[in-house]
Amino acid sequence: MEWRHKNLISLEGWTREELSFFLDQTEYMEELLNRPIKKVPALRGKIVVNCFFENSTRTRSSFEIAGKVLSADVINWSSSGSSASKGETLRDTVWTLEAMAADGVVVRHGEVGVPDYLAKKLKKASVFNAGDGTNGHPTQALLDLYTARQKLGNLEGARMAIIGDVLHSRVARSDIQAFRKMGVHVTLSGPATLMPENTASLGVEYVSDAREAAGGKDILYFLRMQRERQEDGLIPSIDEYHRRWGATDSLVSLASPRAVVMHPGPMNRGMEIASSVADGPRSVILEQVRSGVAVRMALLYLCLGGVR
Amino acid sequence: MILLKNGRIFDGRNIGAASEDLLLKDGVVAGRGKDLSGDGAEVFDLGGKLLCPGFIDLHVHFRDPGYEWREDTESGARAAAGGGFTTVVTMPNTDPVVDNPVTVEYLVARGKRAGASRVLPSGCVSRGRQGKQLAELSLMAESGAVFFTDDGSPVSDAKLLKTALLYTRDLGVRIMEHPEEPSLTAKSQVNEGAVSAASGLKGCPASAEVIDILRGIALSRETDSPIHFTHVSTELAMDAIRQAKKEGLLVTCDVTPHHLSLDETYVLVSRYSSAYKVSPPLRTRKDVKALWDAIADGTVDAIVTDHAPYHVDDKDVPFQEALSGIASLECAVPVVLDTWLKTGKPVPLERLLSLFTSGPAALLSRPWRSLGGLKEGAPADVTVLDLEAIKRVDVNQWKSKARICPWDGEMLQGWPVMALVEGKVVMNRLKESE
Repeated sequence: MEWRHKNLISLEGWTREELSFFLDQTEYMEELLNRPIKKVPALRGKIVVNCFFENSTRTRSSFEIAGKVLSADVINWSSSGSSASKGETLRDTVWTLEAMAADGVVVRHGEVGVPDYLAKKLKKASVFNAGDGTNGHPTQALLDLYTARQKLGNLEGARMAIIGDVLHSRVARSDIQAFRKMGVHVTLSGPATLMPENTASLGVEYVSDAREAAGGKDILYFLRMQRERQEDGLIPSIDEYHRRWGATDSLVSLASPRAVVMHPGPMNRGMEIASSVADGPRSVILEQVRSGVAVRMALLYLCLGGVR
Repeated sequence: MILLKNGRIFDGRNIGAASEDLLLKDGVVAGRGKDLSGDGAEVFDLGGKLLCPGFIDLHVHFRDPGYEWREDTESGARAAAGGGFTTVVTMPNTDPVVDNPVTVEYLVARGKRAGASRVLPSGCVSRGRQGKQLAELSLMAESGAVFFTDDGSPVSDAKLLKTALLYTRDLGVRIMEHPEEPSLTAKSQVNEGAVSAASGLKGCPASAEVIDILRGIALSRETDSPIHFTHVSTELAMDAIRQAKKEGLLVTCDVTPHHLSLDETYVLVSRYSSAYKVSPPLRTRKDVKALWDAIADGTVDAIVTDHAPYHVDDKDVPFQEALSGIASLECAVPVVLDTWLKTGKPVPLERLLSLFTSGPAALLSRPWRSLGGLKEGAPADVTVLDLEAIKRVDVNQWKSKARICPWDGEMLQGWPVMALVEGKVVMNRLKESE
């Protein structure tokens, strides 16, 4: 397949065939990671800049390792200590990156649309969205897809429940997009105050009761719960939330026999997920992390000209 | 003395069947008829183009005083002339705010010095635009304020709004309410619905608009005092205003060119271009249709630009950081006409033109109500329209300081080609349009 995407801002424009091809590429990358010497020269001479305007450890490390395994030079440009904290405009930051001849820019930002903005301004470099506000986190969705496919095989017709704070979740938005493209039926559950008011426009169904949502599902995806939601008055208490929508053994027991439990991390044990589930036999949460590196290797490889 | 020959005259209500001439003398309309002779007059042949009362825009932000790098009275007044508006009403959310007669007089003087379109200031309803205490409304009216508004914010305190309505009832200067219930709109970025769901951006619900409007209607009914709602954007709100008008209440409203031509999907299609960030936000396609229906049945009294210019540094930033507002003075008329043409002329042309002329004129303070009709003795304010003209919007040619606009680069049909204020030509593109 001729790879036509230069950037990854959102999975909106990706076809199912492209997603499948991408996941196949990810398998090769995972094989590479299993070798004793994890280094290939595929991206030698390419410069990748990690631009993280919001704290992140796992996503940033994952991109950094992915770049390094492929022999790209990876520079970390974090917001603290960079010009961002001195009040430089993003426009100037972009031009600086361009002037430094970056080939790829990985961006994480607290605001929606920042990767779009960078992609419009950057003439040469590829832009990779590592999470923009509440909007999207497409590499998370790719690694979730990859993990689910490794465990369940073909995803066509599989059934998934995404449970928790969908309203504020970029992971949920990207996962809904990605899993639906692969033919997965998606159900949302959580307090109505933490749901977008128009779930139908996302092509998914919503049921309030987590037990009903989890019943017979192949994938149970639990979202991170933030304490601020209680402070914002959107839920009465964390305890009530945990009991009604948290991942407990009794909730997970309602899912299909082959079901996997996923979580984007970092977990708040005892809030949205009980330790017994997080560490239990259904959990694939550590596999997700491992897939993250392979997925980001495939992304850098395909978009930075590994194939061309 | 100026003689405008061969124009199809729109008098605020009807369009004349045949071409006529209009004579302007000493700053007022001196005569109308066929083959007028104007000895010694400067003659312009309009070649059958539409000759209208000067267009009035009841809602512009000229950022003066305090934010002159975004716009000032002079650049704004020249932008208005360029866009075919001969009278504009400036909003008082400046720094300092316009809440006293001295600032009103400053703006009147600045407007006169600009020598372009007529600048009429509005003043704040509340002192400091803080929403707590009445500003000096009577004194501001005397100094030339033509509206009272806390625009940018609603008058959230119902008691204060009621007091203001009572206090202004006999002043002849209306209250213009920016309809918004702030507890529902904090940090909102886009319309609440499909676009907020897909993007994760915080939504601004239609209920926030209609709640404020229903409150205002109740207070207007109780005080028997007029209230005007500006930049109304939702179907729900229009239904409420339509109902109030049926009841015979003194309730009026206006809509903007962007809410008449753009819907919320532009935010997604443009991949979060800040040009589409505006308050109230772009709404659904159904709301857009409802605004046109409200024009058709007479619920809408005026079209206003809500011209909200920003410096490129405020606006050429990612969507969520960008300030809200669309600058459109120099393309608002073609945006409306082009939309009207492309949607198959959903309302009669006369109705549409009245929303730029007789409609808004009737809402101004008493001395200015004759602006909308071209009657003999009225100020000689004229806007000439060429409905055939097709031209590209080019922000780099603008007199306004704004350089970001949703329609930049678009070909639009239906442009103002000449504007006169009190018999003085402030814009003339007749030659270009031939």
